[in-house]
Amino acid sequence: MDNILEVRNLTKRFHGLLAIDRVTFALERNQILGLIGPNGAGKTTLVSLVSGTLQPTEGSVLFEGKPIHRLAGFRRALLGIARTFQVMRPFPGLTVLDNVAVGALFGAAGSTRQLAAAREDANRWLHFVGLDHRVRQRADALGGPDRKRLELAKALAMRPKLLLLDEVMAGLNPVEIEEVITVIKKVRDQGISIVVIEHVMKAIQSLSDRLLVLHHGEKIAEGKPQEVLRNDQVIAAYLGSKRR
Amino acid sequence: MKPALKFIFAALVVGGFATVPSWGSAVLVQFGINALILATLAQSWNIIGGYTGYPSFGNSVFYGLGGYGVAIALVQYQLPSAVGLILGVVLAVLFAFLLGLPVLRLRGHYFAIATLGLTEVMTAIVSNLDIAGRNVGLILPLAKGDTLFLELSLALLVVTTLAVAWISRSRFGFGLIAIRENEVAAAVMGVNTTLYKILAFALCAVFSALAGGIHAYWITYLDPGSAFDVSLNVRMIIMAVFGGPGTIFGPALGAFALAAISEILASKITSLASIFFGVVIVVAIIFMPRGVADLAQNFRRFGWRYFQENIKAHRV
Amino acid sequence: MQLLWQILVNGVLLGGLYALMALGLVLVWGVLNIVNLAHGALIMLGAYVCYYFFTGLGWDPFAALPVAMSLLFCLGYLIQRWVLNLVIRAPMFNSLLVTFGLEVVITYLAQLLFSADFRTVNPSYAGANFSFFGATVPWVRVLAFGVALALTFALWLFLDHTRIGRAIRATAQNLVAARLYGVNPRQLYALTFGIGAALAGAAGALYGVVSQINPYIGAGLTGKSFAIAIIGGLEKSLYVLVGGLFLGVVEALTALYIGPTYTDVVSFGILVLVLIVRPTGLLGRTA
Repeated sequence: MDNILEVRNLTKRFHGLLAIDRVTFALERNQILGLIGPNGAGKTTLVSLVSGTLQPTEGSVLFEGKPIHRLAGFRRALLGIARTFQVMRPFPGLTVLDNVAVGALFGAAGSTRQLAAAREDANRWLHFVGLDHRVRQRADALGGPDRKRLELAKALAMRPKLLLLDEVMAGLNPVEIEEVITVIKKVRDQGISIVVIEHVMKAIQSLSDRLLVLHHGEKIAEGKPQEVLRNDQVIAAYLGSKRR
Repeated sequence: MKPALKFIFAALVVGGFATVPSWGSAVLVQFGINALILATLAQSWNIIGGYTGYPSFGNSVFYGLGGYGVAIALVQYQLPSAVGLILGVVLAVLFAFLLGLPVLRLRGHYFAIATLGLTEVMTAIVSNLDIAGRNVGLILPLAKGDTLFLELSLALLVVTTLAVAWISRSRFGFGLIAIRENEVAAAVMGVNTTLYKILAFALCAVFSALAGGIHAYWITYLDPGSAFDVSLNVRMIIMAVFGGPGTIFGPALGAFALAAISEILASKITSLASIFFGVVIVVAIIFMPRGVADLAQNFRRFGWRYFQENIKAHRV
Repeated sequence: MQLLWQILVNGVLLGGLYALMALGLVLVWGVLNIVNLAHGALIMLGAYVCYYFFTGLGWDPFAALPVAMSLLFCLGYLIQRWVLNLVIRAPMFNSLLVTFGLEVVITYLAQLLFSADFRTVNPSYAGANFSFFGATVPWVRVLAFGVALALTFALWLFLDHTRIGRAIRATAQNLVAARLYGVNPRQLYALTFGIGAALAGAAGALYGVVSQINPYIGAGLTGKSFAIAIIGGLEKSLYVLVGGLFLGVVEALTALYIGPTYTDVVSFGILVLVLIVRPTGLLGRTA
């Protein structure tokens, strides 16, 4: 079995508050893992621990078999990990094109180092996510859905092997959600492994090969989507308090 | 303006400065040297403040160390001035690396105040060093004529501006801009933020130290108060911000404009020039916070509403 | 030992005045998120108000102190209402530059109006002193110390026990919180800055009694106020007092054991160190 990501006993404490409690899971190469759980379950924290935005208190993260949990965030990006942010973080003063060009200039090793080439690359990714018409605008002029697309394009331009998507569908309408699902599937078909945090149940069911459920920072279930969603504990903890 | 036109215009300005000694008065040449040095300082502040988004008040330390490098080499060891310039650059870059590491972890107010504090500390330390002439300062041997210094400072400004032009279209520069726009996101995208910030700080140090060295050599006198002058640091910031921070030509243009106006006013009453300077700062920040470069770009589209919009965006 | 005791007493007395100097800066910084580089210039103006009432009208400097506070309050109110309110939602760096512009304008206007000469306020009782366990203590310094403490305490009472005070404190958490108290934010900001300026005016009046003044003292005093603000942190006016006393004593000790020319190295060195190690201040909560 070829695991691109292995998380073992990962724990994160914020001033005594246990945000992530001994979580263990693995992601096979070229698969999509759905990460679900009620608000405040620790999903974003888990993604931040993998991407290096946060450092774990205990436990380990292995990427392609090598431990990376002590590495700075930028080094993990160079290895091939990219993430999007739930609260979107574009570079507001740059054009949409240059936002994505930063991803092409940096990101995983082997990306382009020349600005002209990086912009060409950026153009292609913007086309890929359907943002071509906004290329010359400043990023802070974009509306919500377009910002989500921009986040995705920035991450893709980094040429990651592992993509961590934090609620890229929140606030989108059903048509837009379908578009994003198509894009994510296309990304996976290019050989990129993906972790998706999502609240939209239908979307995550149709996307994910496996599901992992977090509750109060603990893993309470993991497995095939249909099985997990029938699990009593999951229904009690998560679906019971669900609005959708 | 198209980029090509801008470069032609810049070349004309450089040519204009270079020929000043052949037609201008001695006073004009001296003004030219001062303006060029200020423009270099504004331009190098642009690297850390304009492109990287770290409002440094420590650049006058680089300037001061550059000056003391030359002064100590010439006065204490009778070394050639070129060695002094190198010494100054080495000191400034060392300072940038050693203190940049802890200080560049701070953001916003805290970074500004920490660098301000460092400037004060350096002033006080140098005032106690025998080798630097304590608080009396050092008197340098008289050097050759003003023409040489005009050429030196012009060359330095050209090199600094070329460096900024390179930054604005290189991978390194995009890393800096990403840090300015959103540091957390930049790190996640693979920018080695710590290294990039320190390199930007060190690059400022090189150019500011050279400016300080040339100025000290020209003025032939140096004391801690004038070498590490905090208000000089604020002047470079204002000039850069007035012209347009994060642009290639804005800071130099801002420096020329403000230096010229100050010079004209100072010839009447010195304190009036300073008061004017203060008023310009207040008015410029309120009405055109992104500098002349942004004004030139957007005024045609918005007209007078440009100023109204700026106020509306930031008032209570 | 005798000398050390004397130095410590001097340091504490000076520290009280330092605390008052920083108090207004901390209030404005903490509540409005404005780093006021003109703070020292306002202190300087307070000192000149006191000087002119003393030399021109023969007022006792301590009687002129309320006048300095009132005038500076008005000036501060106007500055915030018509200048700083225009940039309050801009990036902090913009308001910082604007206050620097104000500092320059105030300083050089003062130079035009008051001349660059050094001035002193020398009331008849300036030389009077008493002995405190062997240390010689000038009465003016004790008086200045007492006034500084009283004003610090008064600010604390005002912020904790009046409606407006509570509105100001709420504003420190959230700039538009003033509305919840039925106060117009524009006026509340102006009021806050006015109080900050009044405290600077009081500090200036007292400074003029214990030290020489000229139009250029502002920048240095701003620097000292920063050091105190950073050492104490921005959370409580009481902490400012501790920061002021700490700096006063440390400077006095530095002057005694290392040399008077090293006081700036030490005080600004502490400022930078505290910022690097604990940006929330020595007494503040951890981030």
